[in-house]
Amino acid sequence: MINDRTTKPTTVGRNTERPTVLLGRWTRSISFAASLLALPATARAEDAPDSSGPLGIEVHGFVSQGFIKTTSNNYLAEDSTKGSFEFSEVGINFSKQLTDRMRVGMQLFTHDLGPLGNYRTRFDWFYLDYRFWDFLGVRAGRTKLPFGLYNENNDIDAARVPVLLPQSVYPVSNRDFLLAQTGGELYGIVPLAAAGGLEYRLYGGAIFYDTADATSTLSNVRGPYIFGARLMWQPPVEGLQLGASAQRLRLDGDAVFSAAQIAQLQMAGQLPSDFSGPLKFQIPATLGVASIEYSAHDLLLASEYSRWWVNLTSTVPSFSVPETVSERFYLMAAYHVTPWFTPGAYYSVLFQNVDNRKGDSPAYGTPPGTPPLGRGAYQHDLALTLRYDLNAFWLLKLEGHYMHGTAGLSPTLNGNQPVSSLTEDWGVFLVKTTAYF
Amino acid sequence: MTRPRLHSRHHAPRPTRRALLWSLLGLCTFGAYAARAQSAPEFRVLVNPENPVSSLSRDFITDAFLKRTTRWHDGETARPVDQRADAAVRKSFSDSVLRRSVSAIKRYWQQRIFSGRDLPPPELESDDAVVAYVLKHRGAIGYVTTSAKLGRAKSVSIQ
Repeated sequence: MINDRTTKPTTVGRNTERPTVLLGRWTRSISFAASLLALPATARAEDAPDSSGPLGIEVHGFVSQGFIKTTSNNYLAEDSTKGSFEFSEVGINFSKQLTDRMRVGMQLFTHDLGPLGNYRTRFDWFYLDYRFWDFLGVRAGRTKLPFGLYNENNDIDAARVPVLLPQSVYPVSNRDFLLAQTGGELYGIVPLAAAGGLEYRLYGGAIFYDTADATSTLSNVRGPYIFGARLMWQPPVEGLQLGASAQRLRLDGDAVFSAAQIAQLQMAGQLPSDFSGPLKFQIPATLGVASIEYSAHDLLLASEYSRWWVNLTSTVPSFSVPETVSERFYLMAAYHVTPWFTPGAYYSVLFQNVDNRKGDSPAYGTPPGTPPLGRGAYQHDLALTLRYDLNAFWLLKLEGHYMHGTAGLSPTLNGNQPVSSLTEDWGVFLVKTTAYF
Repeated sequence: MTRPRLHSRHHAPRPTRRALLWSLLGLCTFGAYAARAQSAPEFRVLVNPENPVSSLSRDFITDAFLKRTTRWHDGETARPVDQRADAAVRKSFSDSVLRRSVSAIKRYWQQRIFSGRDLPPPELESDDAVVAYVLKHRGAIGYVTTSAKLGRAKSVSIQ
């Protein structure tokens, strides 16, 4: 668990590995997962429904390889302007229906996306699920976070049309701390007679954050709590669902600076002269999203509007940032022209600060005299995808994006240039193929 | 300033081109629906002979196959069973009962499988296999072509 990790300040880069810590976590996780899958021995055999795999264990998996090329600005990968193949995902899961009401499962996942992942294998999810009735079930373990329509599927290429989900609402750079939690969940579907049905998900737990994915000098990052809810109303209109999700979380951690960085920051007046580090910070955040989806016959239409309230408090007041409210929205459509061909498109927009949509002011928390945020305040993304299902186990996607604005780009991937100085109008081209079973 | 010459080549006059375009779109649409209509065989929905129901609402069948409902009204566990994704009877059932294409249903299950939410109904190879499954499990519900031999399995009507 994250609390077991060393608190020794370390500068963590993309190739940083801590085998002992990883092995310890692996051993505990594997023991827990193995004990879950060993439970069939205690279940009544006559209760267990038919399953397709050996020992009644269902096995599913996927392998994806992508290519990303940008016309300018490095995006997701360090060398995307030259073209990058650092865009891979592999997952395999094992599920077992123990009784009619009880199920266990786990998924191993490894990925590489620019500086993220680097093929470190981890448990994507593992759980014990007991469904008392259709209107009440409970799940414990590491579970995906039900935020909006597609957060749980952010790394499942086969389950969607676009290569990249709208990045305003589902940023892949946040996958390590906004995709899953370790804790518990209550779920169910409440029938509403003529008004349709209401699906609810309530959850709470802690967040595991892998600091090895960080692109700056972060240490001991942990999410002490996260809790939230998602309500999806399925009215008596075929294929329509409307919903709202909200979650509250906090990330704590340390920023560790080198002696040279400390000296530089002290000269700029951002650190006190007696600073001896590390700089401790807390990031409490509240995220909300309203969702609507229409999926009937061959047509899919979806739209979501989201706001995130985030602030940063630090032991050094000059590093604290007052609450910033970002705004996120997208509209998406896809159509199955044939069983093997599905085009899709979306328009997505991100404003980093609702009070500074045009970038006329500097970013919150920046020192006096900092220039306005400009193009770094927004990102408009117009995407077109062509999905080809080559057979029942293999698909290919081609995707193009026209981007206006540089919000959401990483300065670290762009030579530490401020995002306001990056190219405002740019394009992204992606090719991705996925095999799955 | 010289304006770009948008019509420097010989094209059909605009109304003619527009008419051609609309005709083409119409033909494609008609063709797609005609193909769909022609390729839609009928099917029967089956339940175990011990199941007291004689008719089911389309909503209940949909909820059972998407596992939004897991129980029959008498408390018995619902055990939906599918046919292969490329079976014509699956397409027909999916289009007319679930009101979504087979591809959309497959995607629905991929979302649930890989996020750890649930597992899809078993996919069986033939009508005979579905009938055998329905006869074996009291809570089973499946569908077969109209020419299938039902044995003791009970065919139910859809309301």
